[in-house]
Amino acid sequence: MNNQVVVSTPPHVKSPRTTKGIMLDVIIALIPAAVMGIVYFQLDAFIVILTSILASVATEFVYYFIANKGFGNKCKNAGLVCKKWLKQFDYTSIVTGLILALILPPTTKWYEVLLGAIFSIAVVKMLFGGTGKNLVNPAATGRIFMFMSFTITVYSACKIAPVGADSQLFTGATHLSGYLLGGAASAQVGWLDLLLGTGLAGCIGETCKLALIVGFIYLVVRDVIKWWQPVLYVVLSAFLSVCLAAIGSTFEIGLFIDYALSGGLMFGAIFMATDYVTSPKGVYGQIVYYVALAVLTSVLRYLTKIEVVSFVIMLMNLVVPLIDTYIVRKPFGYKKVKKQKEGK
Amino acid sequence: MKAIKGKPFFAGIHVHDKKSLACNKETERMPEPEEVYISLSQSLGKPAAPCVEKGQKVKEGELIAKASGPISSNVFASISGEVTDIKPLVGANGGTETYIVIKGDNSGEKAYLPPLENPDGDTIKQRICDCGIVGLGGAGFPTAVKVAPKTSVDTLVLNGAECEPYLTCDHRLMLEHTDEIVRGALMIAKALTVSKIYIGIEANKPDCIAAFEKYDEIQPVILKKQYPMGSEKHLIYVCTGRKVGIGKLPADSGVVVQNVATAYAVCQAVEQGKPLYERILTVSGGAVKEPKNLWVKVGTAVKDIVDYCGGETEEPKKVVQGGPMTGMALSTYDVYTHKTTSGVLLLTGKEAAAEEPTPCLNCGKCADVCPMHLMPMQTAFYASAGDFDSAAKYGNTLSCIECGACEYTCPAKRPLIQAIRKTKAAMRAKQTSSAPAPVVKPVDMKGKSAPTVTLEQKPTGEYVDKGDHKVINEGIKPDKEEKK
Repeated sequence: MNNQVVVSTPPHVKSPRTTKGIMLDVIIALIPAAVMGIVYFQLDAFIVILTSILASVATEFVYYFIANKGFGNKCKNAGLVCKKWLKQFDYTSIVTGLILALILPPTTKWYEVLLGAIFSIAVVKMLFGGTGKNLVNPAATGRIFMFMSFTITVYSACKIAPVGADSQLFTGATHLSGYLLGGAASAQVGWLDLLLGTGLAGCIGETCKLALIVGFIYLVVRDVIKWWQPVLYVVLSAFLSVCLAAIGSTFEIGLFIDYALSGGLMFGAIFMATDYVTSPKGVYGQIVYYVALAVLTSVLRYLTKIEVVSFVIMLMNLVVPLIDTYIVRKPFGYKKVKKQKEGK
Repeated sequence: MKAIKGKPFFAGIHVHDKKSLACNKETERMPEPEEVYISLSQSLGKPAAPCVEKGQKVKEGELIAKASGPISSNVFASISGEVTDIKPLVGANGGTETYIVIKGDNSGEKAYLPPLENPDGDTIKQRICDCGIVGLGGAGFPTAVKVAPKTSVDTLVLNGAECEPYLTCDHRLMLEHTDEIVRGALMIAKALTVSKIYIGIEANKPDCIAAFEKYDEIQPVILKKQYPMGSEKHLIYVCTGRKVGIGKLPADSGVVVQNVATAYAVCQAVEQGKPLYERILTVSGGAVKEPKNLWVKVGTAVKDIVDYCGGETEEPKKVVQGGPMTGMALSTYDVYTHKTTSGVLLLTGKEAAAEEPTPCLNCGKCADVCPMHLMPMQTAFYASAGDFDSAAKYGNTLSCIECGACEYTCPAKRPLIQAIRKTKAAMRAKQTSSAPAPVVKPVDMKGKSAPTVTLEQKPTGEYVDKGDHKVINEGIKPDKEEKK
């Protein structure tokens, strides 16, 4: 008997779940939204999604290749470096690329998407240290970067998803912008249309809410995210929006569903706000984070009249380190000690 | 008494328990080994002081080392024969312990204490102390100290949770010796003068619950199948609803917890006068030929135990002494069982995870499952930078019970428990010495794989006892010549 055994600290058994597995789950959860986006917006959406994913993965690889020491050596052993890269590749850049594509309008030009994806991965993620080290959500920040650089395409021009097979694609303001600006502009849109995204303008992945809900259920069943987090964000934000809309006019609880189902709120709540890296670690911190997100979203939507979800998520991401530092959970049995101190 | 359901507690993990490997195997008595190596460090606290000499004849059950200090325990000869040597050896944890070596003569002569009939509480306490009984759950805290609490207690909780995967020795004990366990529990209750006795049993052992329902003196509590339900603080909370404060003992909440195996040992000590020199342990894992539950003498070589169970079926990836969640990974088969050894596991590469850590995702799963409501990721974050003060502060590390739930669940496979132990060691070093704290190296999280050693290659003298049993990974270094 002359075999090798591993000596390490306990525990000696570990759960089969890995980072790669979780990222794969997220990708699977995003597939319904992506498919519906391609169904609604056809080739345009497909080009955006493909460009975004390829650009993200390529950026990560290039960064891995040229960063750190020994560039010359790496060029000589390119094959080995590729193997090493593949070994540590954890699908995070695919997730970032996919999310970035799904929150863009289908009319976005391919070179715009390319720049946005490169910015997301290289500047937001890799420069801060790669997976797990980024301060803000790469996809949300990438979208903000594009919003500022190519405002015309990213903000105003949204194609409307076809209602029937024969209706043509045309551009128009999103359902949400109509609400925020004028109010009753889109009274003809029913809840079912909102849910399915038919007859609405919107971003590739945000239009069909049903696909998002399917993805949400999958993530919850696979225990990737906690069910109450997106629900808290969406419900509270929509409720506050209804309250704010009631200022100066009548209180209509019927608007609740319109607010909840419009814009990028649901996508942001399910896939972007719940990003592990940029959300608080403890339960109490998470409650604070989602409540703050909801309040900021509804107030800023009301004040600015534009879609603010990515901005709000980026803003709250920056506060997360503070939340983590100051909201620390009390250990089990803590209360007892406190009581005794008071007794003295 | 009819079993009741425990209070709900929402933390912890669900591990595939793999208990079916050995839970239906009746206990066997392993034949006496030719030679036993009995360590003097059988419990927490100071090692016992030997009271035999080289060359002296001893009988089975004879006192060979006396407790030296308040939390030390007596040590007994586990076979009859001749003391051939008293020498220091490197133990399983990489530190040196003094061993008494006894060569057996197979005479089977026994030297028990006289049995007690209808003893009162103080006599029982004295007998527990004399027989060197320690907590057999794993910590090895002397039972004599536990049954003499400084505060008044009103409840005794027996720990039959056995929440560790693979281990089934308590399960078998509860089935085969139900009566003795109840009698032992009553004796402990008498010594403590408490009337209420609970026994917490995990829901995956319905046969044990049914066995204890027949007794009126004891209240079985069904625990959710959830690791770590056998942790003292959580068992107390689930059974009685009381929370033990941070840094407090269970006795401060009026509760004393004893393992079922300890209760059995107490019963034997009182009724037969038999000192604690053998225990039941589980041999299991995918790489062992016949998983078994064995009665094994203290000081038996792990090698002999593995051989008795048919040896290996394949090369194990890890050899573990104790349970897979809190036990110790062995670097050699040449270690010897203690009073607290509850299992020997030979884990295959499939069972024992030895993956390289990947970057932390901040997913917070470790905090979600932590039964003590701590933030292990904070500890790991600061400990990897060498900032142990912040690690202890933001992770609340000093309250950690080292159950391993966080590291089990971590998708990035981060060495969290190692970070926690290092933080604890650094904080302890700071507390005990007024001089500038010794530098503890930051935890390496850069993805270096765990050290591997070749079995049968004994750690040599360069590994010095660091005076701290908990920091186990430091003494064992990878051999440079071996391939990775």
